[in-house]
Amino acid sequence: MPSGALLFQSVILGLLLGGLYALLAAGLTLYFGIMRVVMIAHSAFLILAAYLAWWSHSRLGVDPLLSMVVTVPLFFGCGVLLQRLLLARLRPVTLTMMSVLLTFAIAVVIEGLLGYVFTGTQRRIQLGYGSASFGLFGARIAVVKLIAFGLAAVALAALYLLMKKTTFGWALRATIQHRDAARLVGIETDRVAGYGFGIGLATAAVGGTALALDTTIYPSLHWHWIGPLMAIIVVGGLGSVPGAAMAAMVLGLMQSLLQIPLGTTWAQTIFYLALFATLAFRPQGFFGGRLAQRF
Amino acid sequence: MPSASEPTTAPTAATAPAVTLARRPVGRIVPAVAVLVLAAAVLSFPSLAPNPYILSAGVVVLNYAVLSTSWNFVGGFTGYISLGHGALAGLGAYGTALLVTRAGLPSFVALAVAALLVAALAVPIGFAALRVRGASFVIVSIALVLILLLVFQSWASLTGGSRGLVVPRPFPGLLRPEHHRVFYFLFAGLLGLALLAWWLIDRSRFGLGLKAIREDEDKAEALGTPTFAYKLVVFVVSAGFTALAGGLYALWFGDLDPVFQFSILTGSYMVLMALLGGVRHLFGPVVGALVVGFALEYFKVEFGNTPLHLVATGLLLALVVLFMPDGVLPAIGGLLNRLSRPTQSSIREVTAAQLRDERAAASAAEGTRDRGDAAAATAGGRPQSTRERA
Repeated sequence: MPSGALLFQSVILGLLLGGLYALLAAGLTLYFGIMRVVMIAHSAFLILAAYLAWWSHSRLGVDPLLSMVVTVPLFFGCGVLLQRLLLARLRPVTLTMMSVLLTFAIAVVIEGLLGYVFTGTQRRIQLGYGSASFGLFGARIAVVKLIAFGLAAVALAALYLLMKKTTFGWALRATIQHRDAARLVGIETDRVAGYGFGIGLATAAVGGTALALDTTIYPSLHWHWIGPLMAIIVVGGLGSVPGAAMAAMVLGLMQSLLQIPLGTTWAQTIFYLALFATLAFRPQGFFGGRLAQRF
Repeated sequence: MPSASEPTTAPTAATAPAVTLARRPVGRIVPAVAVLVLAAAVLSFPSLAPNPYILSAGVVVLNYAVLSTSWNFVGGFTGYISLGHGALAGLGAYGTALLVTRAGLPSFVALAVAALLVAALAVPIGFAALRVRGASFVIVSIALVLILLLVFQSWASLTGGSRGLVVPRPFPGLLRPEHHRVFYFLFAGLLGLALLAWWLIDRSRFGLGLKAIREDEDKAEALGTPTFAYKLVVFVVSAGFTALAGGLYALWFGDLDPVFQFSILTGSYMVLMALLGGVRHLFGPVVGALVVGFALEYFKVEFGNTPLHLVATGLLLALVVLFMPDGVLPAIGGLLNRLSRPTQSSIREVTAAQLRDERAAASAAEGTRDRGDAAAATAGGRPQSTRERA
């Protein structure tokens, strides 16, 4: 039986990790809600943002957090273009399947280009405050992990406020709920969908920066993220943002706790076990609404 | 008009039905000839290959052809796109290798047993993946690759982990070129078997149900098609063939590494090949395998191990998805159709205005012909009646 302090440490780390998962899963859920698109390239953009943060730190000497000034608007633009120029061209009948392939292709291209430009060498940001940590009831918490969690929390809160309190968020939610009806009441659903994609990709920029702070990155890392993220959105119920956030916290916590007896590699399997169990026993997910029934 | 030439010139207005009548035997002969030519080309390749490297490239391409044809059982018939078939091939490969090395089974018995085991394993996987529609299926298929990579890398005591697993050769006495030649024919035989199975399903009532699922799953279900059972059965068949291809690859190549066996790229190659060739066609995946397999070998030679082959694969996949989602074969067919439209336009594609003009011309022709002999008039009467139906 592991000591109480170790358990407490794992719980804290799990919650911090879960926050990052929640932010990234929110982006995936947004895409799915808007267009029924499973965006495989989400985590590739995440790694791209992490590389840009690393690059700006090691080559330009700026704090990785400042790279967000560039990456967030850049990714927003990429998202809008991605939706308007590529995904909107696909046939509606086979959209779900073909969009998976298209975003998969984008992910592979990003991975290949990252490997070509930055080589396959593992990279890590060396920060002045990188090894700083503080104690809390016997648990050691690294400052960078806390910053990463803070970033994720702020971004999630901003996303929530945007969705609930602004006219744009109202239009976006209407588009997600019923596209035709939204168009009937005068919402320009195409433009809104494009912006929604931009916002989703902007969350990847924030997440990538947070990830770069305390993780060693390499081009093929995105496969390690897309699996857990997709498991999270299925367990949470495809298309449900609160569901995805809940599932992210729960699964992040479980992964962290299972690392004590099983080690890091086997602890990852919890995501896939949860995925298979959810699909076998409750295919619509645990927090899923109307959308999840048919997908 | 001289009456002697009347029987041959009169049916000018009747070309459309005449062609459709004539096309039916042609429609049967052309594929038969194509199959024969293809089979001859495939079987004569080993004696034409200038060196063992080319021959081994041929084996790789054939392996791809079997894999993408196996993938096409699910992707082509039901429209469910699996990115995880690479994992099934990897399971077949490791299953065969482990049964040979640990259980001491003869190579080809191990291959068959491994394929059966993978097919059995595909039942619970399919059960979880196919209960829901599209998106979840893709997610499960990707998750399958990732989870198996994790397991096979971590469980080093059984699988050898990242150090790899050496598979003893089934024919220890053979020199390397001979080894390639034997496996070339084995893969060709397996390809023939897979194509035959696809062809049989394509013609069957079962295949009709599967295609109904592809077109509209709700309607198919409403009409009484047992959609879930059909999807599961075809998924299991597909898994079996994929495992056979993977196992045969293990016996041929002789060295397995989890990173390559459980690579998401293998699955995406299968999808790319099948889509590129055309998922609705028997030979679509084979054509795609030829193109992609050749391109991959070319890239390996030109650019070595740089990650640029990833970029090329991704770009090709994106282009196919965006501009040619039906594949090369239908695109070529459409092109041929367009070029030869004047001679074989089908009756349905005639507009009302054209129909009116044609009728006027036909009745005018009939008027002149009535003065000729009666036999020509009845010949001219046939297109008239078919057009009425249209």
